[in-house]
Amino acid sequence: MSMMRCGDFRTTYAEDMAIFDTALARRLLLAFLLALLLLPLVATTYWLDVSNRTLIAVVAAVGLNILTGFTGQISLGNAAFLAVGGYATAALAGKAGLPFPLVIPLAGVVSALVGMVFGIPSLRLKGLYLAMATLAAHFVVEFTVTHWDSMTGGVNGISVPAPHVGGFAFDSDRRLFYLILPITAFLLLFAKNLFRTKVGKAFVAIRDQDISAEVMGVNVYRYKLLSFGVSSFYVGVAGSLMAYQAHIISPENFPITVAIDYLGMIIIGGMGSILGSVLGAIFITLLPEVLRLLSGALADTYPQLVGLLASLKMGVFGLTIVLFLIFEPDGMAARWHTIKNYWKLYPFSY
Amino acid sequence: MEFFLQLVLNGLVVGSIYSLVALGFVVIYKSTSILNFAQGEFLMLGAYVCLAITAGGRVPFLAAFLLTMAFSVVLGLLMERVILRPMIGEPVISVIMVTLGLSSILKAVVQGIWGTDTRPFPAIFPAHPVQIGPLPVSQGYLYSMVSVGVLLVLFSLFFKFSRYGIAMRATAFSQQVALSMGISVKRIFALSWSIAAVVSAVGGILLGGVRGGVDGALAFFGLKVIPVVILGGLDSVLGAIVGGVVMGVLENLSGGYLDPIFGGGVKEVAPFIALVAILTFKPYGLFGKVKIERV
Amino acid sequence: MALYRGTVLLALAALALAPAAAPAQEIKVGGLFDLTGITSDVGKPYAQGVQDAVQWVNESGGINGKKVKLVGVDYSYKMPEAVAAYKRLKDDEKVILINGWGTGDTEALKDTINKDKMPYISASFSAHLTDPQKTPYNFFVAPTYSDQLRAWLTWVKQDWKDKSRNPKVAFFYGDNPYGKSPMEAGRRFCKEIGVDLVDEEILPGNFQDATSQLLNMKQKGADYAYINVTTTGVSLVLRDAKKLGLATKFGSNPYGFSETLPAVAKEFAEGATGVVPHAPFGSNVPGMKKIVDFHQKNHPNDTHDLLYVRGWSYVVVWSEALKRADKAGKLTGEGVKEALETFKDFDMGGLTNNITYAPNDHRPSTKTPIFQIQGGKLVKIAEFDMPRKPEWLGL
Repeated sequence: MSMMRCGDFRTTYAEDMAIFDTALARRLLLAFLLALLLLPLVATTYWLDVSNRTLIAVVAAVGLNILTGFTGQISLGNAAFLAVGGYATAALAGKAGLPFPLVIPLAGVVSALVGMVFGIPSLRLKGLYLAMATLAAHFVVEFTVTHWDSMTGGVNGISVPAPHVGGFAFDSDRRLFYLILPITAFLLLFAKNLFRTKVGKAFVAIRDQDISAEVMGVNVYRYKLLSFGVSSFYVGVAGSLMAYQAHIISPENFPITVAIDYLGMIIIGGMGSILGSVLGAIFITLLPEVLRLLSGALADTYPQLVGLLASLKMGVFGLTIVLFLIFEPDGMAARWHTIKNYWKLYPFSY
Repeated sequence: MEFFLQLVLNGLVVGSIYSLVALGFVVIYKSTSILNFAQGEFLMLGAYVCLAITAGGRVPFLAAFLLTMAFSVVLGLLMERVILRPMIGEPVISVIMVTLGLSSILKAVVQGIWGTDTRPFPAIFPAHPVQIGPLPVSQGYLYSMVSVGVLLVLFSLFFKFSRYGIAMRATAFSQQVALSMGISVKRIFALSWSIAAVVSAVGGILLGGVRGGVDGALAFFGLKVIPVVILGGLDSVLGAIVGGVVMGVLENLSGGYLDPIFGGGVKEVAPFIALVAILTFKPYGLFGKVKIERV
Repeated sequence: MALYRGTVLLALAALALAPAAAPAQEIKVGGLFDLTGITSDVGKPYAQGVQDAVQWVNESGGINGKKVKLVGVDYSYKMPEAVAAYKRLKDDEKVILINGWGTGDTEALKDTINKDKMPYISASFSAHLTDPQKTPYNFFVAPTYSDQLRAWLTWVKQDWKDKSRNPKVAFFYGDNPYGKSPMEAGRRFCKEIGVDLVDEEILPGNFQDATSQLLNMKQKGADYAYINVTTTGVSLVLRDAKKLGLATKFGSNPYGFSETLPAVAKEFAEGATGVVPHAPFGSNVPGMKKIVDFHQKNHPNDTHDLLYVRGWSYVVVWSEALKRADKAGKLTGEGVKEALETFKDFDMGGLTNNITYAPNDHRPSTKTPIFQIQGGKLVKIAEFDMPRKPEWLGL
């Protein structure tokens, strides 16, 4: 069994392309996943609920990172794609009564199609202008779900049955955890692999320099749309899981602040990094919980803190983003690699 | 017909405030290429600061107004120096996110200090409406429209004739050339952020006076102004003015005629539908500088 | 990568393990409040009323000697946050009942609380929550929004002196479940009593300007208008109406009409009417004494309004239910529900009209006072008792 690696000793392309450096890294990850499987034995229902929300955020953040971090297309419309996935689930599972193995992928596909439609402006627009177009997309979708009462239940929201297949229903947070965790793990692995393929490399080429990508034979239009599609598929799946997890969804589940939160996740975690999306999603989802616990612990001494919690959450969120952008623009993932590399060669780092 | 005129008139007055806030956007974008998503929060903060000075210190309104302006200048300088300057040369997404982060911070500060209640604002305008032909118009709106007009003329003159105004235009044209002509680009950046903070604060105070109260909802003006600047062209002062007025009218007309059909909400979404249309057909707006890219 | 994630999640698991043990002599009650959302203008005084009343209950003997611990959560009037907070209150804090707030979140949670047998006493007076066949665990302390609107419409009919035609009425309501809750009842009642409903205008969540809606209403020629949004919104509509020089008489709902309205809207509020199911702060009613005394003792310089009194009245009701459940030896969700259903003409000391919860009808009361703002003060001008029609249950 090989140990952790103490330098870069890759000699073949296959090694360069490998997902895991060493067998140890792979085994550690597997062990970690197994440990996660045991989480429901120790966590209370509420903390399982938090874990479920975290995993869902991971899926959505990876999706957004595919589009924004890897392909360089800024999207402020991801809350809208989340809503499309969620409402598709409400329709497919609630109205049509389909089982979840059909509903979740279909919700992803519906969201992908909508995402590609809203991706069309990206063929002409870049940077700021694309951000504006997706922002507009967000408000248009929000208006639609608020007013299409027969389909979405309007402002009253619509209830979503528990995911079921055959006679079995994932009707508790514990069971949902065992549904969401494998889906998240699979989607993470898929995303990791995506960037070892031609498609993924084309995305990165477009981000780095679209003109040279075109010159090198990447069909920029096609791959931009594809990126919107893949990304919205992920976000749609996250929306679907969110609908299942929340039991009832309304336009309030998908405000513009959700889109900003997701962008915050990939900024803090690291743009163009799968690991970064995971770290960022965990960070942003747990931030309010940590603040709540802290303020709860201090509430006896400072009772006014409870009323300040909402502003505190918002302030810390903004401050974290600003500080990361100024001091570590590549996010937590980059910091992690720096630390890892330092220890790799320790104590002879030169 | 009266209904139509009344809607147009209301659109004009609301639009004039949009123009003012849009002006702040444009000034920043022109010289620094940063789109400031925290503009709405500048507006809210300005209104709150003015309110705090008047009510707390029992200071006459005019003095409070001037003090607020001074505060805004400092705020703009501070924001530029501490947060925005390290962002020069970073990718667009980082710049967008930093202003979004900034908006969260400012909102949190305002909420933390003043809470979320609507605070009554000193009555700076008389309450009863005046008649323009058959139409009753609120005096607050008239005054704000006039002050917006005055400010806009002042700014046009500033950009056209003053030394700094010309330096700002030069910087917008090309930072390198401006630098080589001995213009301090850093100072121009700082100046543009101060101007943006000042015009937003004026907008906030006017809105506070017109609405009679200030609360967190004022920050929504920041989002509303995005379609305005896209319509006018991100780098055009004239565009900001025309865009603001057009969007105000569009919003009110769609509110008046379409809201009853769709069951509300059209007024809010109409500017964004227009935004999609503009981006599809004329992405650089009515008066924006067209950049030609073919990929 | 694995290690880092591991640490974070281990920390998470450790937090989860921390036991939430409470002393046996403590009864935990959950509170869902809006302190920062779009209804925080009325949510904050209400929450303070609940908190103060809990302190008062504990200082004057508690629940048969047991202390009440209120676990308050600010959910910013957002349904998803309410759902998450509910899970935490139920599973981690193990509260026995919940003092809730908004219509949207209460209606969203109604199936869940029914499954969990969690008494849910919320500040939403939505009539949809009064049919025990559908919502056995939902309670509130006031006439329903629908009965209040019916009472106001009855007043309109009475106030209208021109007998040559029916009065024309418009409804303004927020684009949310609270705003829309009594509208269907209102529409039907207008037809029944001969009031012409000429216009309905929707006000979006964070509206800044109601001019276009008011202009529409002006075109339809409404003589009266009922505004179903919270105080801040009502004040905006009243202002904009004055700016347009409209002669329409405005009325407002129980969350848009309190001592705060004349304070915020100043002279624009003059003459406005509203339904006032709870006594204004400092009114001369027997139940007010303890509230005023508490106020004098703890924070004599604060100003309070009837929303604060409303918060108190809620605690009066559920603390009495806890006492009854405790005496019966059933201090459980089911026991509290049964205790509440023993309330028959329960004397609220004038804080609100007497409360009755029948096992087959959770309409707490049917009497609605109408107040008017005269010289900046709230003055009672009428009171109407709506019949307890079976077909109005749940509408």
